[in-house]
Amino acid sequence: MAAVLVHIDLGDAGRPDASSLVALAAGRHVASSWGATLYAAVLVHDPHHPSLGAHADEIAQTSMPSVPGIATTEGALARGGADKIVIAVSRDPIAPLWSAIGNAWQGVVDHLRPRLVLFGADAPSASELGPRTAARIGARLLLRARASGIDDVELRDRDGGYARSTDGGAAVAMIGRAAATEQIADDSDVDVVVLAMPGERDPRVELVTTTPAEIVHAGGAVLVLGDDVASDPVIGAAARRLAELMNAELVGGPDAVRAGTVAPNAVVERITPLAPELCVTIGAAQVDIAGATSVIKIGAAGPNRITAVDGVLHGLADVAQLVKKLEQA
Amino acid sequence: MSDANEATARLTVQPGKRVAIWLGTRAPVRTVRWLDGALRAAAKLDPDKTGRVVALAAGSASWLDLASDRARHAGIASAGVPTDLQLDYLGWAQIVAAAVRQLAAGTVLVDEASRPERWIEVAAIAELLDAVQLTHVVKVAADKDVLTASRVLGRQLQTVRVRGPAVLGVRIAGAPVDEYPTPMPSTSMQRLELAQLGLDPIVLGHRAQPPRGSTEPRKTVERVAEHLLVHLAPREVR
Repeated sequence: MAAVLVHIDLGDAGRPDASSLVALAAGRHVASSWGATLYAAVLVHDPHHPSLGAHADEIAQTSMPSVPGIATTEGALARGGADKIVIAVSRDPIAPLWSAIGNAWQGVVDHLRPRLVLFGADAPSASELGPRTAARIGARLLLRARASGIDDVELRDRDGGYARSTDGGAAVAMIGRAAATEQIADDSDVDVVVLAMPGERDPRVELVTTTPAEIVHAGGAVLVLGDDVASDPVIGAAARRLAELMNAELVGGPDAVRAGTVAPNAVVERITPLAPELCVTIGAAQVDIAGATSVIKIGAAGPNRITAVDGVLHGLADVAQLVKKLEQA
Repeated sequence: MSDANEATARLTVQPGKRVAIWLGTRAPVRTVRWLDGALRAAAKLDPDKTGRVVALAAGSASWLDLASDRARHAGIASAGVPTDLQLDYLGWAQIVAAAVRQLAAGTVLVDEASRPERWIEVAAIAELLDAVQLTHVVKVAADKDVLTASRVLGRQLQTVRVRGPAVLGVRIAGAPVDEYPTPMPSTSMQRLELAQLGLDPIVLGHRAQPPRGSTEPRKTVERVAEHLLVHLAPREVR
């Protein structure tokens, strides 16, 4: 039976990352449609695990590691629809870098030889692990894909890439959206496989520090409020709600700061360079956006320097309508 | 051998010590500012200007001319792979990896900010070169054989030290550029033919991928909402 493998990042106390659970939901839909087994794999750090001998060079099925919160993890993944849970034990600390966890993750992929590998598009490890996994197994790569269809479920990204049950070859997808799965009982029986992973982190990369990033380095979504609409309380409220829905940074010009709509450390100017994955501008917002960014312009009075956009809404009232649509989604 | 090729061949740089900066296969969307920033970041890795940095591009003649022109502005030599192939991330990575080996480079920077499809090539190039990879790098500096790079991860900035061969996807802005002169046909760019790199276009064709996606902007609330759905912050699935 074919395998669908979902990488699960873990947060506090063993709770799976929310974006990883979205990928698991997409995996459930696909696996049920394709007649595949759905594996949810987590990497955990247990340097004292007895199976992690210094000379181990093969993956070994072994006993449960001593990791806080592992029961929470198992319960969440079982409720999320996993057929089997793979716990890969590593002697090195888990960090969202290929150099830190690439060896252990590759061990899981080699062990299961999945036809489809899924990551939550916003999960911490996705940007480092997803494309490298795809390159290693020579797979097609879908970005911000979603599951669609009822009987014949397929994955599609918005550039036209897809993965279907009838395809040959493997695919890797970063999942941006999935419908909820059916309720699965808390006491559902799910197989747990514990694997001791040989190998170590890549010593060529050393993580030195982790600090808060400045606004100009925002990598996810950014919402830019124009000064012309900064003092409009209705637009301001809708913009804040839109930013909340997308977990976006809300930035703007000096007037938006004075109006209290954006934080003092979130001021941008016409020449401020931004390279997030997504940027939504409202009103006559001016900012210098990288070509890699997907841009939506709302309520811009006339042409401005932001070109090559993916969407344009001319009315400022459309912000509230857009919020309503997204809340209903 | 052309004059340009001779000029590049004369560079006396220890193999593996060169730095290649992959500029991609098509001109930047919106602005060349990030292209310039990536080139400037690469140039800083050669403070003594020994000529060990080389900009690399592939694609049409007009794009290669622009890439060469911006590299020249940054004081960097350039090499280009003329081709009309349209490939996926792994196809382009094969070309980059072959060119990087030909140029004897150990470190590869990738301008991942100028076009949306570029960042996923970082991992593929690293995989083919058996190199370390880092994506979303916003700052990079070299101290002898050690690179110190800062990369964005969500709302955090990770600072890492890297030793040995590495592929770094950079998103570093240069100075604002409103307009730039139309580039003249490049004479200084070293041309690397696919055959010279040991690559067969027919084999590469297995990774062919036509340009995808609509270029027409979405103009209704429904269609924009559809576009944004995959960016919504994940909620509890249940």
